[in-house]
Amino acid sequence: MNGVKFLRKIDKKDADAYFRIRTTLVVIYLLIGFSASFGVVFFAEELSGFSVNGFPFHYFMGAQGAVLIFILLLFINAIVNDRIDKKFGLDQDRKK
Amino acid sequence: MDTQFLVSLGLILATFGLYIGIAFYNLARKTSDFYVAGRNVPAVFNGMAIGADWMSAASFIGMAGTVMLLGYDGLAYIMGWTGGYLLLTFLLAPQLRKSGRYTVPEFIGDRYRSSTARLIAAVATIIISFTYSIGQLSGSGVVIGRLLEVDTAIGTMIGVALIAFYSALGGMKGITWTQVAQYLVLIIAYLIPVIFMSLQLTNNPLPWLSYGQIVSELQVLDVQLGISEYVVPFTEATRWQFLALMFTLMAGTAGLPHVIVRFYTVPTMKAARWSGAWALLFIGLLYLSAPAYAAFSRFILMTQVAGSSIADLPAWTTSWVNTGQLSVADQNGDGILQWSELVISRDIVVMATPEIANLGVFVVGLMAAGAMAAALSTAGGLMIAISAALSQDIYYRSINPQATERQRLLVGRWSIIIATVAAGIVALDPPGAITQIVAWAFALASGTFFPALILGVWWRRANGPGVIAGMLVGLTVTLIYIFSAQYGGFTLFGIIDTGAGVFGAAAAIITIIVVSLATKAPSKETQEEVMDLRYPEEMVYRDGEVWMKESLDETKVNK
Repeated sequence: MNGVKFLRKIDKKDADAYFRIRTTLVVIYLLIGFSASFGVVFFAEELSGFSVNGFPFHYFMGAQGAVLIFILLLFINAIVNDRIDKKFGLDQDRKK
Repeated sequence: MDTQFLVSLGLILATFGLYIGIAFYNLARKTSDFYVAGRNVPAVFNGMAIGADWMSAASFIGMAGTVMLLGYDGLAYIMGWTGGYLLLTFLLAPQLRKSGRYTVPEFIGDRYRSSTARLIAAVATIIISFTYSIGQLSGSGVVIGRLLEVDTAIGTMIGVALIAFYSALGGMKGITWTQVAQYLVLIIAYLIPVIFMSLQLTNNPLPWLSYGQIVSELQVLDVQLGISEYVVPFTEATRWQFLALMFTLMAGTAGLPHVIVRFYTVPTMKAARWSGAWALLFIGLLYLSAPAYAAFSRFILMTQVAGSSIADLPAWTTSWVNTGQLSVADQNGDGILQWSELVISRDIVVMATPEIANLGVFVVGLMAAGAMAAALSTAGGLMIAISAALSQDIYYRSINPQATERQRLLVGRWSIIIATVAAGIVALDPPGAITQIVAWAFALASGTFFPALILGVWWRRANGPGVIAGMLVGLTVTLIYIFSAQYGGFTLFGIIDTGAGVFGAAAAIITIIVVSLATKAPSKETQEEVMDLRYPEEMVYRDGEVWMKESLDETKVNK
């Protein structure tokens, strides 16, 4: 934070809007992630009826599907969050 | 001394020479701006470094074997150890990054304004890292035992000497480019045998796409033999055990001190998000390959080894039988080795498969080098976490505040040696498989740090007495559950020792909430600091108002 010279007061509503968007998105991401892992495991027997690429579906999700969804969620989060930062006038890259 | 020994040893020495070389090159070049240098590393490479830090003997040596022997039920390890990064990156990393504290005990001590809480966190760090390092030593025992064709216990003793020496050198922690090199060695070593086996068995160079076919064939083989089927869920453990183990590994990931530290050292919250995403991509590459590795190993063992005549088993069997981890006994005396007569420890599957599949001395040697990198780098980091907690948080802060730099350094060095030797003694006769021992460390982390950190960041009403009681209760519940499940046969809902974290975390969260509400609320200052963590780094929360940090030149750029 070497570059900080002064503090400018901003509307608390704007700051809270930022917090709310972030929190809502995180809740959505976690719900998706948990359904892909805990949800599928819980209904493993019911979901074993059809196959994906040679695997019964529950096995495919455990060995590949869930991990791919986790990776995707983290990248989506990083990209979306960068956009939100820009919308709120924040750009951390400029900071030295 | 056979060719295999010379090639394996040569590759181990060459790769370690590479790590040390990179470390010295960076040290010599950038002593003046050492810290700044670390911060200019692009998120992609930081992700690789986190991957190298994260993937230990449990991931490299233990996991595929666990999946092979547990079938579907072993996949809890795959999803648990990757899913933890969601909790970490979404719920903790950005906030901890903003708090600016450098270690977990430091954050807990400052957030809860309690030196007792800090002390308990330091003790918990030691217990967790100690348990974790038993798994690493046990893994190095497997590799060295095979290399020298001696009993795994003797291999472990040599591992102790190596790790004590490596850690005393500083473990090369925090030198990002060394870790990038470690990641590359590790992942190449792991992928080459999987790709070769995929080509051998399916003529397809992409194991991730081809092993579905092998899994289908395994189902047919299982039915023929009348054994529990590979893909059928909950044959080795109950549904609740699977869910509990997965939760334990996820929450533990989000609470492991030596993983969290990586996110304190990134320059911005944005870098924390991107590093987390890249890290999981690089980690995922190994985790997506482990079930393929497991399926290929099981297929080769079932079709090429089982059914062959006892008298002319290939050379690799003798080498592994000598380590005490493999047994081939012709129990029914028909001269043929049946699948049920082949008893393979899950810890040697990964290391033995390249030999079984006849992939050549170079690939076998590369596996040894990759496994040693995984075990030694993680063990080095754990030993440094133990010595920092002992010398800084316990000795300097609580026992002898007048201690000189030299005295603290001495305490740190001795704690590394004592901890390595003590962990080595336990690892001589490992209390469980590598993945199982490491899962205990995760259970302890999810019973102590996970609740303390999550509530510390997200609930401003949580206070010192609450977190002290919560961490003590969580630690006790987890320890008692692990011991009574492992040695007393006590279980609830079929949840065994490795799933203990779910009880520890629940007990700790309830305790923190109840005790916090029953005692005085934290000071206004503390509550404001917690509120401040909600907002991005450029914003400061003070007296109910939010301020934006700005620099003069930045405003100019904006115009």
